[in-house]
Amino acid sequence: MSGQVLVFQVLNGLGIGMIYFLLSVGLTMIFGLMRFVNFAHGALYLAAAYAAYVVSLLTGSMLWGLLAGPLAAAILAVAAERLLLRHTYAMPHEAQILITFALALIVQEAVILGFDAQAKNVPVPDFLAGIVFLGPFVYPAYRLAVVGVAAVVALLLWVALERTRFGTILRAGSESTEMVSLLGIDVHRVFLGAFALGGGLAGLAGALAAPLRGVDPFMGEEALGIAFVVVVVGGIGSFTGALLGGLLIGVVQSVMSSVWPEGARLMIYGAMALVLLVRPAGLMGRA
Amino acid sequence: MSAFQEGGRFPDGTTIGVAAALVALPFILPSVTLASELVVFAVATLSCAFLLGMVGLLSFGQGLFFGIGAYVSAILLREHGAATLPAVLAAALVAGTGAGLLALLAVRRRGVYFVMLTLAFAQMGYFAMLALRESTGGENGLTGVPRTPLLGGFGALAGPGAIYAFLAVLAFAAYALTQCVGASPFGSVLRAIRRNEARAEALGYDVRAFKVAAFAFAGLLAGLAGAMHTVFLGFAPPNVIDLEMSERLLVMAIIGGASAPAGAFLGAGFYLLLADFLSALWPRWLLLIGLLLIGIVLFLRDGLWGGAAAWLRRLRPAATPHG
Amino acid sequence: MMMRRRTLFGMGAGLLAAPSLARAQAAPLEVAGVYSLSGTFANVGDLLNKGTQMAVEHYATAAGQKINYTLLDDQGDPGRAVRLVQEAMGQHGIRHIVGCTNSAIALAVAKEVHARGGLYIHMAGADEATGSECNRSSFRWPGASFTAINATVRPFIQRNPTAKRWYTITGQYVFGDSLLSNLKLVLADTGHQLLGNSYHSLSEREYSGYITAAIAAQPDVLAICNFGNQTVDVLRQAVSFGMKRNVKLVVPWSTGLDQYQAWGADICDGVYFGVNYWHGVDAPGNRVVSEVVMQKTHAATNYLQACGWAVMQMLVEGAKKAGTTEIPALIGAMEGLVYEGPTGTETIRAADHQVIKDYYLMLGKARAAMHDANDFAEVISATKAFQRPELTGCHMA
Repeated sequence: MSGQVLVFQVLNGLGIGMIYFLLSVGLTMIFGLMRFVNFAHGALYLAAAYAAYVVSLLTGSMLWGLLAGPLAAAILAVAAERLLLRHTYAMPHEAQILITFALALIVQEAVILGFDAQAKNVPVPDFLAGIVFLGPFVYPAYRLAVVGVAAVVALLLWVALERTRFGTILRAGSESTEMVSLLGIDVHRVFLGAFALGGGLAGLAGALAAPLRGVDPFMGEEALGIAFVVVVVGGIGSFTGALLGGLLIGVVQSVMSSVWPEGARLMIYGAMALVLLVRPAGLMGRA
Repeated sequence: MSAFQEGGRFPDGTTIGVAAALVALPFILPSVTLASELVVFAVATLSCAFLLGMVGLLSFGQGLFFGIGAYVSAILLREHGAATLPAVLAAALVAGTGAGLLALLAVRRRGVYFVMLTLAFAQMGYFAMLALRESTGGENGLTGVPRTPLLGGFGALAGPGAIYAFLAVLAFAAYALTQCVGASPFGSVLRAIRRNEARAEALGYDVRAFKVAAFAFAGLLAGLAGAMHTVFLGFAPPNVIDLEMSERLLVMAIIGGASAPAGAFLGAGFYLLLADFLSALWPRWLLLIGLLLIGIVLFLRDGLWGGAAAWLRRLRPAATPHG
Repeated sequence: MMMRRRTLFGMGAGLLAAPSLARAQAAPLEVAGVYSLSGTFANVGDLLNKGTQMAVEHYATAAGQKINYTLLDDQGDPGRAVRLVQEAMGQHGIRHIVGCTNSAIALAVAKEVHARGGLYIHMAGADEATGSECNRSSFRWPGASFTAINATVRPFIQRNPTAKRWYTITGQYVFGDSLLSNLKLVLADTGHQLLGNSYHSLSEREYSGYITAAIAAQPDVLAICNFGNQTVDVLRQAVSFGMKRNVKLVVPWSTGLDQYQAWGADICDGVYFGVNYWHGVDAPGNRVVSEVVMQKTHAATNYLQACGWAVMQMLVEGAKKAGTTEIPALIGAMEGLVYEGPTGTETIRAADHQVIKDYYLMLGKARAAMHDANDFAEVISATKAFQRPELTGCHMA
């Protein structure tokens, strides 16, 4: 593999990584704040992708889908939290894992019920259907747009976390929810807000990914796998961890595709296992 | 009755019950092959339930050892013409050893991290299987696995009835062994670890070593079930080692109840029969399984077996004679 | 109108109510279809099953016996498929089995059916099914990788003699490898050059890395050697990277209409596809199946429905020739059978039980050139390209 190709594989990997970041930041936030393992995170991604599909069919433009997706995911997340998940906060992690796993299964089957099991196509908006030239390299305009959107969202999120009251409460809550509630803040409202935000971000990832790989009922499972790897590698509860972890996994995947493609998947889960064994706090998490 | 969680005796009422059920099963169920499938998954579920119920370890990776058992036995039977009994036992041992080795790494972590480690291992196992497709047949699986005589030319597995008998004996042995372990001093330590790890450590027990041993034993059970699966089907399909298999085993263990080995058997039976029955009515039957799972986790923490045990306990005071 | 699915429990009762000897001729023929309606392959299984059901309704009888069709839903699990077949054959006396959702299931079921002396007609893509794993009980309808490559690449090369430098993106699994090895043989044979290959794994969805490598090699042609959703993703992403500007894209193994619909006309335009079936081909057998499908679904026939239809048709045609549904006679009649199938005149080769039929090379049309919503591509070549039986590795016992 020549140097030029390597450079481009790395750049390409950064692009993939931005989507992985969007996918994972919600999961890490919820886990960091509420110590809640959300196996239904992929289901939010899935629901958003299908919402985007339906809206883009109805309106003829995927851009409306880009609004519909995160909204649908946030609504689903809030509904799940209010109706079901809030009852499990006191339960051991195993119970939370199993319940959210069951929820993911239900959403998946519901999607097949509502549509069917065939993969569906979501066309890229016309004005983004071409390619751009970055020096000697070719890159699809849509992917560049996705990177751009993800970067803007990352920035907005960072600002929200560092500069707004809600963000501060979130960060404080990640350290100690007890302290936050002792300070008179309604912790449950915070949880709800975190769920909505986390779900919305996963939904944005789903809506953005739809034109890249189509929508199918099993995309949720696949997304969950990647999200877990990124969250573990980056550090549970860390925003910068999700960003770094996402980019790292994206780059590994892209570079591996030229070096040892079969090993790409193996390496990614191997990296997850390695981090868990050696430094479970991940790259950016607190030890 | 919650033998894993509160300790039990070996043998006890359930031992006889399970033996009786195994004998009666092919006559109660519509087919012998369904009974065989049930028995195979009962043992596999046992491996999940043992870890969860006795040690409090939630493992998303038992499918990995099920798969190892399935492939190792398939290769021994197909490529080396091994007799069935040694092949099955060897496969179980390989799986158990593999589990022990992985456990040396995995038990360094607890709680959610441990769960995620098992998840990572399960995923790696699947991709490793695909990478080794020369030996495992990749996405086509390993077909044409012969059913050789049990040992030294004796005990030909001629027909579904004979296969069931062999599998049922193995399942009973697995059940009895698990009960034995549960009732032993080793089992008490595992229970103590589940209740309060720090206290067990303070009492001087090498908690990690015990967890490794428990994980190895569970891997042995899963590997045994995998080998039984290969003998039952005469082939090793690729899904024996994928994540869905791990998830399925866990779901069966939760439904049946991880509080006792009988729960695992009940869970496997219930799930398989329900799946068989429901899938003919509605292709989206998994949705109902999801709802059932949520119901059980919320309301019936010890699964169906635990629920039945609690119900029976409530009835018993009424049976106490007065005076 | 779907034929009611009957569970095996109910069917046992049906078999017990056997007609008297005098009406033995009219005893129904029990046929079981092995398809996945749940699990990861649910999308494939559902359409295949519908194709078979439509054929059952259309033909209604085989050699004078009414066909009773039962669906065995293996839930995507080959182990379950084998168990259900064991039950169907061992306890319910069903001897005629059709269908499979993927090759793992087909190979396993084929062994089981053969061991119990039944008949199995399926649509697996794995070459082994009529190669090293062939047996006297099993028959396969679609062409596999040898056919796909030879019927696609050779005519392509004839049309594009200057496109000599090839690059491949291949699924690193058994089927992908067999497409690639067949392609290498053809390229060597025609004096063309394989610049390089990028393998990807079975569950891959992100191909930008492989496409980048392909672009860097500067080939004349990119061949996509995989199947299913992966083919859809690779082509979609390759086109999004602008590969169509200076590279010809060839997809030797495509399922045709359903994939064209997933891609849309703009992606299909100018791409070469190899397909086992096309609804637009004018053949008497195709007219029959298309009429039925149009009536029931108001849509054009896709590959999966045609496959599901074809396996049932083979059984019926064989029974017609044999005059009976008794297995040994039926198998004998099917060997060498010639009939009008969905792709025209089809022949069941006796040596390996592979159906010799046309495989099409299609070229995607521009959106403006489409006559109707399904007219994504035109057939530019129809070839019967099959490996010589002695070279398939098939040794029929």
